[in-house]
Amino acid sequence: MNKINAFAKRNFLEIIRDPLSYIFCLGFPLVMLVVMTLVNESIPAEAGMTVFRIDNLAGGIAFFGLTFVMLFTSLSIAKDRSGAFLVRLYATPMKSGDFIAGYILPMGILAVIQVVISLIFSYIVSLIVGVSINPLGLLLAVVALLPTMILLVSFGLFFGTLFNEKSAPGLCSIIISLGSFLGGVFFDAESTGGVLLNICNVLPFFHGVKAARMACALDFSGDFFIHLAITAGYALVVLVLSIVVFKNKMRADLK
Amino acid sequence: MNAIETRKLTKRYKTKTAVSELDLTVNEGELFALLGVNGAGKTTTVRMLSCLSEPTSGECFVCGKSCIKEPQAVKEIIDISPQDTAVADNLTVFENLRLICGIYGYSKEKTTAKIEEMITLFNMDEVRNSRSKTLSGGWKRKLSIAMALISEPKVLFLDEPTLGLDVLARRDLWSVVEELKGKITIVLTTHHMEEAEHLADRIAIMLEGQIAALGTLAELEELSGKQGLEESFVAIAEKYGKKAAR
Repeated sequence: MNKINAFAKRNFLEIIRDPLSYIFCLGFPLVMLVVMTLVNESIPAEAGMTVFRIDNLAGGIAFFGLTFVMLFTSLSIAKDRSGAFLVRLYATPMKSGDFIAGYILPMGILAVIQVVISLIFSYIVSLIVGVSINPLGLLLAVVALLPTMILLVSFGLFFGTLFNEKSAPGLCSIIISLGSFLGGVFFDAESTGGVLLNICNVLPFFHGVKAARMACALDFSGDFFIHLAITAGYALVVLVLSIVVFKNKMRADLK
Repeated sequence: MNAIETRKLTKRYKTKTAVSELDLTVNEGELFALLGVNGAGKTTTVRMLSCLSEPTSGECFVCGKSCIKEPQAVKEIIDISPQDTAVADNLTVFENLRLICGIYGYSKEKTTAKIEEMITLFNMDEVRNSRSKTLSGGWKRKLSIAMALISEPKVLFLDEPTLGLDVLARRDLWSVVEELKGKITIVLTTHHMEEAEHLADRIAIMLEGQIAALGTLAELEELSGKQGLEESFVAIAEKYGKKAAR
């Protein structure tokens, strides 16, 4: 446990001391929240469009911010792998499980912090624009987003292990774009129907966003648990896959 | 017991043999230099001895423990300062040292004592709270070696420790390495003749993955019939080249 703690602490400090992580993980999503709220204010009420209303936007933007945690996870691992730092640690008694836990734990903590800040900001915006959001709903949205956090941190571990520091961010950008689009963060996926909605339904992003939105609205009907279960299922699969990939890659590095 | 022993140690990559049937013994407390040009197989040898690369064939032992069968036990008693500076950029000097103490499971008291010991040994007090990305190459290299030494290894591998350093930083680092002589076993790889001549108890000249000559400076001079390590190295390399061509 000492090894994991020491390594996790190092990874946590490396990320929080990188100014870019604040710009991307917090600054950018919060700016998007403000911009989308302004867009919502400009949409006439008779259009009946609610996707950009703060009570809908809160869960979506929290998800959007999490995709950048994935980016920084992958970047951090890819950077370590390209330099001599991991070589040094490979020569210590650390095992592959210590490395994996040492990467996942701090990123998980950062993901929770990012979601909490994002939802607090959403609550402040809701007070300003006069739309009511139940604080309990926001608290439960943090819990509802836990599988999404595991999913995205695992994607980060996966890409950071397999690709170098130039390729990994590029591939993560694809997931960020796909995830925010097909997750229905910035458009009303449910109103589209057809093939697009089918694609959204097959992937985990839409379910992650939907679970967060339903938790914000304190809507715990049957669908909520289905969305949560689908996201959790994907998270488990990607987590196991990324662990297997990391272990194999470490074994190959030491060949 | 020998600190290091290799028997017919070989590493082959697809088309190249990096290390070929290496037989080597390093005594306890010795400062042993692996000297050779780039691509001679020095780093590959160190990687196999520090369990960072599996040998293709042959055996290697560190303090009697097999690098192949007991890598975890070997990792407990060795440490390495790799060729490239291996420090965490956004951590301070103090935090980098604390990281290694944490990995080796030191108590709070031992961590504090060991960090202070390293900071004193390497004269790093003025940079103890500086983030490593802001340090000069010389300071980074010192930190990298301090991080290897703080784990109290029985065998320390220094892979090209002065690569890219200016003459003053190099001399500074030499004085630190000299202080460690006799206390632990050190295997140093270098292609600087002066460095091997200045620091090593014994020198192995590596050429094309094999040991072309091994001995003290005086023994190498006698073997080559030349004065000084550089002249001896050239003479041995030429002789070895002719022998290999035959």
